[in-house]
Amino acid sequence: MAIRVNPKLIDELERFGSEDVQNCYHCGNCSAVCPHADDMFVFPRKPMRFLQMGLEKKLERSLTPWLCYYCGQCSVQCPREAEPGETMMSMRRWLISRYDFTGIAKLFYMSWKGELAFVVIIALLTGVGLSAYGLSKGDIGIYDGPGAFLPSSLIHTIDLVLMAVLTFLLAVNVMRMWRFIMEDAAKAPIPFGLYLKKLYLLPVHFFSQKRYAKCDPENKNRVHIPWITHLGIVLGYFTMLVLIVLFLDRLQAGPEIQWSVHLFGYLASIGLLIGTVYVLYGRLKKSQVQHRRSHSTDWMFLWLLFYMVVTGIIQHLLHRAGFPEAANIAYVAHLMGVFPWLLRMPFSKWAHMIYRPIAMYFAGIIRESAALDKAPQRSTQYLQPAA
Amino acid sequence: MPNSRIGVYICNCGTNIAKLVDCEAVARFASEHPTVAITKTYKYMCSNPGQEMIAQDIHEQALDSVVVSACSPRMHERTFRRVLQTAGLNPYMCDMANIREHCSWVHKDAAAATEKAKALTKAAILRVERHEALDRFSVDMCPSTLVIGGGIAGMTAALELAEAGYPVHLVEKKDHLGGNLTRTDLTAPYLDSARDLITERITRVQENRNIEVLLNSQVKTLEGFIGNFTAGIERGSPQADGKNQIQVGNVVVSTGYKEFDAARISHYGYGKLPNVITSFDFEKMLRAGRIQTKEGRIPQYVAILHCVGSRSQEFHGYCSRVCCMTALKYVHEIKSAIPKCYVSDLYIDMHAFGKGHEDFYRKTSEVKTVFLMYGKNEHPVIRKADPKDDCEMIIEVNEKLSGERIEIPADMVILMVGMESREDAAQVARLVNISQDKDGWFIESHPKLDPVATTTDGIYIAGTCVAPKDIPDTVAQARAAAARILGKISRGKIEVDAVFAEVDETRCSGCRMCNELCPYSAIEFDEEKRRSRIISAVCKACGCCVASCPSGAIKGRHFTDQQIFAQIEGVLL
Repeated sequence: MAIRVNPKLIDELERFGSEDVQNCYHCGNCSAVCPHADDMFVFPRKPMRFLQMGLEKKLERSLTPWLCYYCGQCSVQCPREAEPGETMMSMRRWLISRYDFTGIAKLFYMSWKGELAFVVIIALLTGVGLSAYGLSKGDIGIYDGPGAFLPSSLIHTIDLVLMAVLTFLLAVNVMRMWRFIMEDAAKAPIPFGLYLKKLYLLPVHFFSQKRYAKCDPENKNRVHIPWITHLGIVLGYFTMLVLIVLFLDRLQAGPEIQWSVHLFGYLASIGLLIGTVYVLYGRLKKSQVQHRRSHSTDWMFLWLLFYMVVTGIIQHLLHRAGFPEAANIAYVAHLMGVFPWLLRMPFSKWAHMIYRPIAMYFAGIIRESAALDKAPQRSTQYLQPAA
Repeated sequence: MPNSRIGVYICNCGTNIAKLVDCEAVARFASEHPTVAITKTYKYMCSNPGQEMIAQDIHEQALDSVVVSACSPRMHERTFRRVLQTAGLNPYMCDMANIREHCSWVHKDAAAATEKAKALTKAAILRVERHEALDRFSVDMCPSTLVIGGGIAGMTAALELAEAGYPVHLVEKKDHLGGNLTRTDLTAPYLDSARDLITERITRVQENRNIEVLLNSQVKTLEGFIGNFTAGIERGSPQADGKNQIQVGNVVVSTGYKEFDAARISHYGYGKLPNVITSFDFEKMLRAGRIQTKEGRIPQYVAILHCVGSRSQEFHGYCSRVCCMTALKYVHEIKSAIPKCYVSDLYIDMHAFGKGHEDFYRKTSEVKTVFLMYGKNEHPVIRKADPKDDCEMIIEVNEKLSGERIEIPADMVILMVGMESREDAAQVARLVNISQDKDGWFIESHPKLDPVATTTDGIYIAGTCVAPKDIPDTVAQARAAAARILGKISRGKIEVDAVFAEVDETRCSGCRMCNELCPYSAIEFDEEKRRSRIISAVCKACGCCVASCPSGAIKGRHFTDQQIFAQIEGVLL
């Protein structure tokens, strides 16, 4: 079956941040320097070729953009300044918009004004709604417990509703991702057992980000700073998510410090703060190759995250310091960042937190199923003539 | 025996000969021959001391002829003939025995090789005993030149000759000058206007008083030889003087090419699908200033297909050389006229060999051309698209770099048709007596060292009638041909080699067998005397006529029967 060429694809990807892809002449230097590319998953050269040729279907079914953590060595080595690193990044953005069945992600990526309007509207609705609720039902002087301005039970309910919506959206998107990637990834149907067997890869990659650690180009640093800061953001974010969803009432209790939960909260905040500041600083200074070019959605992601972290810390400090009114105002401000952030999630860069470990999981399955295909005992059962 | 004081010189050629052949033994053997006056061996006979040694011996020993046993006569016969000439002997009193290429280089057994060297040397000795003094002679060179074909090559050659002050007759079949270039819009890679190039040439040709432009005219006959050709011209419009015969000294053939007929490749649908067009159809569109489909719409997708008729087993195996850069030129012209248009370029190999070509290729990729590579013996298929598609046609092909079978959308497909030799090339070749290769292109005297001359003296070839080439190469060839001719004209006379065949009129029966056999058309037939006559200036001394003459009436100078029989006798020892 022939694949249709879409000559417009290269222009479309430019809206997602790719640049100068047309300069590539396929020398393969990028794939040679990449610490992750191997015989089975060849990149960036191969997806670059798909993009140049406008093979939309092929690119949509590509797993390789997710295997790249953007160390930027490919872009440094590229003799034609075709920016393979940034191209892989733009492909991830494009894939997020492809996995999303609603089309909202595409809108956000194509129009920064649309995204900004969405965030501002949700933030204002949140601010107005929560203020109205607090002023009518609660007391601005009470932070926690009966009569609180924003009772934990209310926020908890909203959180759970949002979680349900997000889980539904992400589940559908992940199913689409599975279909795109696994449909023709293997020659023979993949046994279900293999899916179970490789399930352990999900937590391993999620919590260790160990492939990112390999991105240190010269392997000269004992601790690879971009990896550590990225890990700080991921683990900090995950910890905060667990704390808020499961232990919100204990988190909000006070003004005494609740060490059993707050200790984790502090550690998570440190991770998030350092990680966010490091990346923001990098993108502003453009000091490293992977931070040279920023898409509008990158800025939205980082500033929103930074805003949430800072307002969350301020709110916490004010509460503990005995200023419940100020703490309540900071809390509303904090939630004005959180709700747009959460609603934006399945349509944005944030979704890579889910897609990337799943991609590693799929890669593990594809790798093993290819090894099985080569094993002789497996092929014999297909030698039976069709009766 | 005419010559009885022979000097025999055995060359060691460093160790090339001496490592296998016992040169001293050969020298001793030669010295025993009664007519040999002196025998010497030397390390390098062709070196200055070697040459001086021979010249000195000629004087001191009063030699009347010389044998040099050394390398191939192709290498140094001229050298040793010159030595004889400077020493006062007739240069033809020299013969060479090739004991290097024919002996030391090809054998392993030293004793046998030495015996063979002796035999070859003896053959040369016996031959040179019968050598006769021959005189070179010269003929007058007519300073006019005939240029056949008024394209960029013909006009350039004509201008070069005319501006040096010599008359030129420029014969063009069509009613205008300019040739194929008049069908072109811009030129690659600098995107200069072809019209400007050609207008400048035409104006200068028309203004030059030394150039007689004959439009609507054809050369019907060409007789004679270098320096003295008579051309019969058929003029389209009768001239006042009505003179149809012109005298010229040299001829430049610059008849150009024609394009490959794309309809010969059925799966491209040329002639059936309205928006499948050739590069020349597209040039016409560009010159009219509007790129549009047959239905008058602006195309959204344009696909350019390279190597149509070129580099294939069925049609032409050769590369047409100009199409790759022309295709890239189209991309630039399309992108500047319709910035939103997407252009796909299907190539086999991108031949960007010339000056500025690689930069041009890079610039073309920078404007986001979709470059797709297909295999040399692949058949891209062009078909009509479905009504639901957003394009007119689909090209299906195996893309080589990705290994995928792909479908390319197109509203317009441009077929880069290659160059072919013209239908009348065979007729022209016969007219001026030159050869064609298997593809119909005219053959040069030597593809590397003598690219614009032909095997017929006085006939030069330039431009795309020789092989596909671009404008710079064509112009360079035209100027080279003109320079060669100017070199000949400036001497006023032309020296003819003394080695040629002669007919003994008393023995010629007038059977005309030789007339047909001569590969150089050097034999005329005198209708009055009923005898064949050889034009010595044209004869290359190949010996065909000598061998074929049933009356034994033809003698090859310097290759007489006696000389050859003597040589054979010598080889047999």
